Amino acid sequence: MTANIEEQYLEAFGALAPQGDPAWLLARRRMARDIFAAAGFPHRRVEAWRYTDLRRALAKDGYVPAQRFDGPLAYDAETVGPGAAAFGDVERHMLVCVNGFFRPDLSSADLPEGVSVKPLSEAVKETGFEEFLTTDDNLHPINALNSALMQDGLVIRVDAGKDAGKPLHMVHVTTSSGASAAHMRHVIALGKGAKLSLLETHLGQGGAGYLANHVTETHLGEGAALTHIKLQDEAKDALHLAANNLRLSADAKYYGFVLALGARLSRHETDAVFKGEGAHADMHGALALRGKQLGDISTYVDHAVPGCSSNAHVKSVLDEEATGVFQGCVLVAKDAQKTDGRQLSNALLLSRDAGMNAKPELEIYADDVQCAHGSTIGELDETALFYLRSRGIDEATARSLLIRAFLDEVLETIPLDGVKQDIGSQIDVWFRASALAGS
Amino acid sequence: MAVRETVETVDEVGKYKYGFFTDIESEKAPKGLNEDTIRFISAKKDEPEWMLEWRLEAYRRWLTMQEPSWAKVNYPEIDFQDAYYYSAPKSDEDRPKSLDEVDPKLLETYEKLGIPLSEQKMLAGVAVDAVFDSVSVATTFKGKLKEAGVIFCPMSEAIRDYPDLVRKYLGSVVPVSDNFYATLNSAVFSDGSFVYIPKGVRCPMELSTYFRINEAQTGQFERTLIVADEGSYVSYLEGCTAPMRDENQVHAAVVELVALEGAEIKYSTVQNWYPGDENGKGGIYNFVTKRGDCRGADSKISWTQVETGSAVTWKYPSCILRGDNSVGEFYSIAISNNYQQVDSGTKMIHLGKNTSSRIISKGISAGKSSNTYRGLVSVHKKAEDARNFTQCDSLLVGDKCSAHTVPYIESKNPSAVLEHEATTSKISEDQLFYCMQRGLGEEEAVALLVNGFCRDVLQQLPMEFAVEAQKLVGISLEGSVG
Repeated sequence: MTANIEEQYLEAFGALAPQGDPAWLLARRRMARDIFAAAGFPHRRVEAWRYTDLRRALAKDGYVPAQRFDGPLAYDAETVGPGAAAFGDVERHMLVCVNGFFRPDLSSADLPEGVSVKPLSEAVKETGFEEFLTTDDNLHPINALNSALMQDGLVIRVDAGKDAGKPLHMVHVTTSSGASAAHMRHVIALGKGAKLSLLETHLGQGGAGYLANHVTETHLGEGAALTHIKLQDEAKDALHLAANNLRLSADAKYYGFVLALGARLSRHETDAVFKGEGAHADMHGALALRGKQLGDISTYVDHAVPGCSSNAHVKSVLDEEATGVFQGCVLVAKDAQKTDGRQLSNALLLSRDAGMNAKPELEIYADDVQCAHGSTIGELDETALFYLRSRGIDEATARSLLIRAFLDEVLETIPLDGVKQDIGSQIDVWFRASALAGS
Repeated sequence: MAVRETVETVDEVGKYKYGFFTDIESEKAPKGLNEDTIRFISAKKDEPEWMLEWRLEAYRRWLTMQEPSWAKVNYPEIDFQDAYYYSAPKSDEDRPKSLDEVDPKLLETYEKLGIPLSEQKMLAGVAVDAVFDSVSVATTFKGKLKEAGVIFCPMSEAIRDYPDLVRKYLGSVVPVSDNFYATLNSAVFSDGSFVYIPKGVRCPMELSTYFRINEAQTGQFERTLIVADEGSYVSYLEGCTAPMRDENQVHAAVVELVALEGAEIKYSTVQNWYPGDENGKGGIYNFVTKRGDCRGADSKISWTQVETGSAVTWKYPSCILRGDNSVGEFYSIAISNNYQQVDSGTKMIHLGKNTSSRIISKGISAGKSSNTYRGLVSVHKKAEDARNFTQCDSLLVGDKCSAHTVPYIESKNPSAVLEHEATTSKISEDQLFYCMQRGLGEEEAVALLVNGFCRDVLQQLPMEFAVEAQKLVGISLEGSVG
């Protein structure tokens, strides 16, 4: 047994720390290190991690810092899984990160005017950059760990009034085969009225037990609109932790969607704060898991000002011994009148040993609000299955039809057609693998 | 406009009607809590040795425990040494044999509470085991119940007269070490009710206990145990009113229900203890552990509660659905006003096959109060075809109150179907407008809508109680008309 896995990480901090960081960043790293050292990896008894016990998941492995990889990258289904095909037909700009480091040589350079991408290591040298890093390390030990150890990341900025046009596609690939850990920090900043579509894929080489820890700081200016679609198909022994800290100014619009297929343990967390009236955030997602996978989608929405709306809809399909987790909290501050906050979690359990935990929470301090949440957990509808079978459709097809229909409800909300299709195909691939395993 | 009136009318509820105080000399244990206090209580009750041991063990366990802090309630730290743990009316020495022997002042108190003991028989067949402070003073209808074989007596009597039954079931649903308050209760419980319904018996009347906190600074530690043997049925009513006073009082009751095969227990509560004044001063701290165990197949336990009182409420009546085909229900109305804090809900633990549960919770918060629903629905691996439906709705009256919903939904069985929905809103302007357009006054319209909001739960109450409950919920509405 590892006596103290936290210490291993802090050692890594000692090895990595000073590499030309500005003073504010060094101070911040030190503070974050202390917070993490005090809190440790969150576990079952930490309310926000009640269903996703990181301490247990990490207990066996000693993680070393991920190494920069500069060689040629095999980006195909054979090496990094079927997710490599996703968004291939969508016209897009590629931004590639390998083992937690940005690889400009593999990325598109022809970004339109008003759109800029910089590696984090460069961006931190700008004066005033710290204002983008608004994540409160005190509230979140994993974010603190990220702050202490973050090495690289993408800083994407769209100037006021600019429409970035073609989507930007962030590709994260892990090639290391051992237990390595990468802590990336991304910043997405949209100026007033700016528009951006952002795609993300997270892939890894088969069987590797690495940890990918991403923290994304998203700042949407007044009236800005971000469409953010993510496919998480990490290697099957990997751990994937993603925290999206979202700050919305007045009338900003955020559409987020995540499809989680990979990793033995994954968590996709959105922490949204409304800072101006009239803003809207969609935080949708789907989990399709099997084996002993655990997938967690958590949302925390702070309706700090009046007149904003939020909607989180998560659909989970859980096969074999997989466990799904949905945690949602809608906080409506005093005086945040005319808030509309919605959460819905639907889960399908396909096997005897699958499980689902849902905790949709409302915390409301204002009276003129419409807030609702719902949660359902069940299995495939036998009568619907029977209906299809009676029409001559074989069982496997009938099941896949029903499961697709179940997931389509949330897939349908994806605003980009090509992307929607690709997400659908990824689910089909997942389903075929499931059927193969079952037969 | 309408909202303000509702605020006012809910204010009316706050003006506590039952704030009188009966001055009867009490016999008290010395202030504070230690092993001697427990020995004193046990000796006072003439308890057998095993009961004293049980209490002492609980006390020692309690010393190692921490007060829970996860609920959404705030209150000053409680000094458990600054309270009396036992007080009994003086006339304890020679217990009254009939109503005539009961202290007339006590009877007067009951009169004010609306339970005229002398007219019990006319009161729709309700037998009352009235708990005045900690000792049960008078028990009625014993004869009729005895005929049916039903045991309905104070806990202290049951410990003496039915030790085997008590030993078998006491602490079997809420273990001694269950939680901080339950453990405290196990150490110091003063009295409570014991009910045993024999096999196949349908209890001929609704059983009822009035709890009443009377002596200043006495914590009340009631212990209730209801055992429904195979195929039996009982409906039990618990109603509470307490006099007005300033010091905060801790109340930590434990209620255990055991339903064996085919048995059904219906447990209804109207809780209207002193909630504190408009400034949040005083009021009862109500930390209750209530749990029912559907131990046998085809059994059913149903909790209905109307919570309007107490400054702080911490209460989660739960069902352990162990027997196959067993059913658990939880119907709740929680009204909070001024500075009241309610953190209440339920737990439905599905262990047996084909078990089903239903949760309907209505929270109404007004003033500067905070009202939280906290619930757990857990389906274990072997609970084939388990079914749950949960609905929790919150109504906010005024913009200084808060309403929270914290459900935990866990399923480990694919054949289980769980549904949960919750809404939070204020009284809809559209609905108000619609009602008024049909000729209703504004107050009537508000009354109608609030009534409608609670209807699902009110309908679950037994007739005798529905009146009282509707009064409590409806008092507000009465005042607003005209």
